[in-house]
Amino acid sequence: MSESDPKLITSPTDDWSTSRRTFLRAAGFTFASAMFTGCQATPIRHAIPYLVQPEDIVPGRSVYYAGMCGGCTAGCGVLVKNRDGRPIKIEGYRDHALSQGGVCAVGQAHLLGLYDSLRFSSAQRDGQPVNWTEVDAEITAQLAKIRGEGGAVRYLSGTVNGPTARTVVEKFLGGFADARWVMYDPISSSAILDAHERTHGVRVLPRYRFDKADVIASFDADFLATWTSSVEHTAGYRSRRSPDDAAVPMSFHVQFESRLTTTGGKADRRVRVAPSQMGALVTSLAGLIAKRAGTEFAPAAVAAAETDVLENLADRLWSARGRSLVVCGSQEIQTQVLCNFINHLLGNYDQTLDLAGASNQRLGSDSALAGLLEELRAGRVRALLIDGVDPAFDLGAPAELADLIRRVPLVVNFASRNDETAAVSRFVCPDHHPLESWTDAEPVRGLVNLSQPATPPLLNTRSVVESLSTWMGEARPGLDIVRATWEAKVFLRQTAQPSFLAFWERTVQDGFCTVTPEPVAAAPFNAAAVKPKAEAVPAAAGQLELVVYPTVGMLDGHHAYNAWLQELPDPMTRVTWDSYACLAPATAKRLGLAEGDVVRVTAGTPDSPGPSLECPVVFQPGQHESVVALPMGFGSRLSERFANVGPQWLQSQPAVGDDGRVGRNAAPFVAMRDGARRFDGNPVQISPTGRSRPLAATQLHHTLSAPEELSGLGFERRDIVRQTTFAALHAGAGHDGHGAHHGPSELWSQDHPVTGPKWGMSIDLSACNGCSACVIACQVENNVPVVGRDEVMRQREMHWIRIDRYYEGEGDDVAFQPMMCQQCAVAGCETVCPALATLHSEDGLNQQVYNRCVGTRYCANNCAYKVRRFNWFDYPHADRFQNLVLNPDVTVRSRGVMEKCTFCVQRIQEARIAARARGETIADGAIEPACQQTCPARAITFGDLNDPNSALSKANEPAQISRPGRGRHRAVGVVPGGRPESRRRGRPSWLRLHPYSGCRSSPATRRSAR
Amino acid sequence: MTRDVCAPMEGKPTWMWWAALAVSTAAMLVGAAAVTYQVSTGIGTWGLNRTVGWAFDITNFVFWIGIGHAGTLISAILFLFRQRWRTAVNRSAEAMTLFAVMCAGIFPIIHMGRPWLAFFVIPYWNTRGPLWVNFRSPLVWDFFAISTYFLISAVFWYIGLIPDLATIRDREKPGLRKTVFGILSFGWNGSFRTWHHYELVYLLLAGLATPLVLSVHSIVSTDFATSVIPGWHTTIFPPYFVAGAIFSGFAMVLTLMIIVRKVMRLENYLTMRHIDAMCKLVIATSGIVAIAYATEFFTAMYSANAYEQFVFMNRALGPMNWAYWIMVGCNVITPQFLWFKKIRSNLVAVFILTIFVNIGMWFERFVIIVTSLHRDFLPSSWALYAPTPIEIATLIGSFGLFFTAFLIFCRVLPVIAMGEVKGVLTFGRRAKGATK
Repeated sequence: MSESDPKLITSPTDDWSTSRRTFLRAAGFTFASAMFTGCQATPIRHAIPYLVQPEDIVPGRSVYYAGMCGGCTAGCGVLVKNRDGRPIKIEGYRDHALSQGGVCAVGQAHLLGLYDSLRFSSAQRDGQPVNWTEVDAEITAQLAKIRGEGGAVRYLSGTVNGPTARTVVEKFLGGFADARWVMYDPISSSAILDAHERTHGVRVLPRYRFDKADVIASFDADFLATWTSSVEHTAGYRSRRSPDDAAVPMSFHVQFESRLTTTGGKADRRVRVAPSQMGALVTSLAGLIAKRAGTEFAPAAVAAAETDVLENLADRLWSARGRSLVVCGSQEIQTQVLCNFINHLLGNYDQTLDLAGASNQRLGSDSALAGLLEELRAGRVRALLIDGVDPAFDLGAPAELADLIRRVPLVVNFASRNDETAAVSRFVCPDHHPLESWTDAEPVRGLVNLSQPATPPLLNTRSVVESLSTWMGEARPGLDIVRATWEAKVFLRQTAQPSFLAFWERTVQDGFCTVTPEPVAAAPFNAAAVKPKAEAVPAAAGQLELVVYPTVGMLDGHHAYNAWLQELPDPMTRVTWDSYACLAPATAKRLGLAEGDVVRVTAGTPDSPGPSLECPVVFQPGQHESVVALPMGFGSRLSERFANVGPQWLQSQPAVGDDGRVGRNAAPFVAMRDGARRFDGNPVQISPTGRSRPLAATQLHHTLSAPEELSGLGFERRDIVRQTTFAALHAGAGHDGHGAHHGPSELWSQDHPVTGPKWGMSIDLSACNGCSACVIACQVENNVPVVGRDEVMRQREMHWIRIDRYYEGEGDDVAFQPMMCQQCAVAGCETVCPALATLHSEDGLNQQVYNRCVGTRYCANNCAYKVRRFNWFDYPHADRFQNLVLNPDVTVRSRGVMEKCTFCVQRIQEARIAARARGETIADGAIEPACQQTCPARAITFGDLNDPNSALSKANEPAQISRPGRGRHRAVGVVPGGRPESRRRGRPSWLRLHPYSGCRSSPATRRSAR
Repeated sequence: MTRDVCAPMEGKPTWMWWAALAVSTAAMLVGAAAVTYQVSTGIGTWGLNRTVGWAFDITNFVFWIGIGHAGTLISAILFLFRQRWRTAVNRSAEAMTLFAVMCAGIFPIIHMGRPWLAFFVIPYWNTRGPLWVNFRSPLVWDFFAISTYFLISAVFWYIGLIPDLATIRDREKPGLRKTVFGILSFGWNGSFRTWHHYELVYLLLAGLATPLVLSVHSIVSTDFATSVIPGWHTTIFPPYFVAGAIFSGFAMVLTLMIIVRKVMRLENYLTMRHIDAMCKLVIATSGIVAIAYATEFFTAMYSANAYEQFVFMNRALGPMNWAYWIMVGCNVITPQFLWFKKIRSNLVAVFILTIFVNIGMWFERFVIIVTSLHRDFLPSSWALYAPTPIEIATLIGSFGLFFTAFLIFCRVLPVIAMGEVKGVLTFGRRAKGATK
């Protein structure tokens, strides 16, 4: 390259004018030097294809890694969908024994946390980033000092059940003379474990087998939504609640509860009970069961009000001995002991309550936590390591905890984000996101999950086990640590694989393995521990009791950074982006409160007021009249990032409250009493503040009837959801004898015949419990934007699938109806679009062509189901980093464009291309839209309506097909065909949709046998 | 007579004119600012939501189209029926039509999410293969109906202007104005031949415009009638909308006439007789509209369709019932005062009543659009609607545009068809004493 020879152009010339040759030389040099400098490492500006393709990464093709969900401690198996080297979706893992293909809303959403630019991107000291070597040196030095002095080291964590983490932490703590591991669960089940310690001599949480239970009695346990392991329970429960087979009767479920939970909404019998009366109720039931068992047990007083229900329940439980299950969500140890007593008398242990394969999903001990707090107050702790919990937030005393933590000489926090505790911790050594690290867990004894990283760490973080090993002086990569532990501990517990290598590779691929459970040393039932719950004095009239409860989206609030979860409507209240006080409508009326009125909720009695907070009121039908229910997990420091979420314009309102956070933290109301953190039953007072705060609810309080003042003409009930009894269904009576009202599912099916596959969907309303996993799954899969609180208040949420909730009667019965584009065969939206932006595909789909849409919104107006969503603004990710979560198969829609459910057309295309490449037709079940794929209750069936053998066609037997009530020329492809649910006792039972024929009067479907 | 009519054009404008122009231009600018903000930020700056996809936008559109009706009705239909009193008002009524249609035409464009792609609804020859507009969509019909209506109205209005433009040309001293009016009047020479051709063309155009009067609003009504939404899906809509349009159109003509005759001192030409005749038409169309309201209710009850019934109950008694009762009050109840001759001859009373009709007719469209949408089939999707300041500013802006255009028209063109009025002048003079 002679042109690049510098001598040629640096040789001086007499004049500075540039000759042609000089210019060419200079140009050549510039070009060549630009080429050479291009070889240096410079910031990447352009995405360029790989020269050498990494193995496994094929552009445009998804790779799935089996792993474990890191959303909570339930340990569900998941498949992580990777595209071009980055995880873009969490998928359900059908083969996993616990989750059986389901993933909950939090599990789906925790993916977003991976692409969070507000995660700690390096180690921190006093809130300033420092490099790891520096931090390690300081911490090691301090630990050595403490070790020498024999100072107290405390490891505070949430439930940790992974073999590796347990081994490493125990080894780490083993190096100190005075070291203790304190676990607590923000959503505590401590009382259950403590009760088993009393009755069975071992502190253990049984694994509840709802799949084996014929009769279920639940006392305030919201086991389908937030209680210990909801996905697992939903799968088990659902397996016994299918109306399909007449020979397999459905389980019978009675729910005693103080607030309306989704679990209660699914129950066959629901009884409202004040939290303070729950113990007495369990005592009464124990008495009734003891009488039948011939055991001596004399409850002091039997709650008279529910005697009938209890007698009936006792009969049912007794006749289903060994096949029944009594669960209790109370944090009263004595009540839990009674619950164990009942299960013991019924012979349910080792049948429906598995002790041998007991659960490790909640290991926390509230009394241990209390002990630690005492030590902290006494200033005895020298080193405090905090792993995966945010005590300053969880315990609701940020100021006190901050003070206590600051007083500890060495505080190391493994938090990923700057939460309440991390903000006051001297050292923060951020852990990886679960999708970035090698982790394992043993959620139930004998089932060990192994989760490989789905992506290399995106930020400069380090896993907890790596950090601990480093400080022990044996720094090793996470993989080596996990592998060594597995070789030493897990491999020995199995016999299927002879060599460790084979076992390891098999397990990495599967994501879990089954091993011999460590034995549970359960002692014989200790009847002496059982004491009647005598103190159940009737509550003073008008005395309100507090219930602090986790919501489906927020849980304990550790995901409060997650915009998807903040915007997820609560299944019952349908409120987003806020916390609130739920009151029964009658109570609110008595107190003269309107919905949205801000009230001051003060714990305690007027004489001794406790903590208080201000929040708006939500009316909650079905709730006990003496209850004030506050959702937990709100008011977190992590939600401060949402000040400017959503479009910013003249009238936009921030998503956060006056204090800069979303909602208020209810944790201060959780009181430690009798050895457990009590979430309910504490007395509370309410006083209006005179202010009001409108709530961002996606749906108001709707029943299926027109508002009373407008129902003057006999058009009472809308024929949207129908119900029948299990017996009536299988007796061929259709639904309540109104089978004759079924119209054809399509009026003009011959007009546009679909000869190939014709995609359809059926939703079993008896299975759906409103858990909202589908909503988030759809949001992730289809790049559905977050719009913020203000936009939700303006009724502009963008979710393509929503779960309509209708109350029946006073709210003791709830209908959930997932609603998405019905893919009408002769669709209203298609005829009215002037630009032909929405039209029908040859396989029966109603398509939306984004780049042709001009945004007249006529289609949405003419949609009978109001499932179309309009981009009122541009809704970009507030955090640009989060663009990495976008699904490359789905267009990101711009402002002014209509969008809606497409049945995940990208998945249909993928399956079609794959089938075509193999020269086959698309197999039934090869396509699973995101909502179906994740549904823990397996309520959704997708498939080919033209294939008589498809699962969908079977699900849609003519007697069961139905559509939400509206008629006219609506020929529907999707059939949210609800199926009847068993409602014994002759109660109205049902939940099914029905085609409504516009020219006939609506049949009276309400069979009131109540 | 020519002097009287031309006076406002040739003299200096009055302070009232300036004041009116200032107010209306200011309003227009407010609207322009609002639209600019809305287009640059997003339709989200309006109060619409997932359930109520149209509200102020289409209400304004239908309202202005309705206003635009009286012009052509007066010009064409009354011409064909030889209603000679029309001559005094037809020019300004036609101008009003054009301006109203212009105002109306803005809304379908700005209501789009992506107004820069509005041309997608026009069937133009393109390179996208078979991609064409959806001829089943009433919005495409709207495009044809409105553009046709606008063109025909404009031509009709302009043809009618030619003799008067020539008159002005002849009055002008040589100069720019004379040249401009000379060009605009197409060399009109007032010969018998010219008049003969003119009359023929005018008659033919009147014949052509007549069906349009009925078709435009019928087609606008299909925006609703062809949908499946209860409250929209009604066969009564085409005649109901046409009647409503005439009703509102006449009310607006009256409103303007009363102002114009005062401001422009044209009391001798826009006489009480004209006002009286138009008041009677207002009563008649009010009656038709009232019957339509009643019929809608009856049909809903008779249909035994719960959704249909609910929509009407909800209109009258639901959360937006105030809009419904404003509509009934202004369209059915207050116009009944016009039965009294005393009130018909009281200009202030008539003015107020016509304003009420204008308000009522605006609310009629609002009620039809919003109360039908906000509570339809699935209660889960029910929502309320409230306008944002941006929407209100846009509505104000459309009035600003309308009045600005009208005021300028009053200054630069003869508001009364001199050529035609002269034809009925004797009659007019004789009649003057009788009506006063």
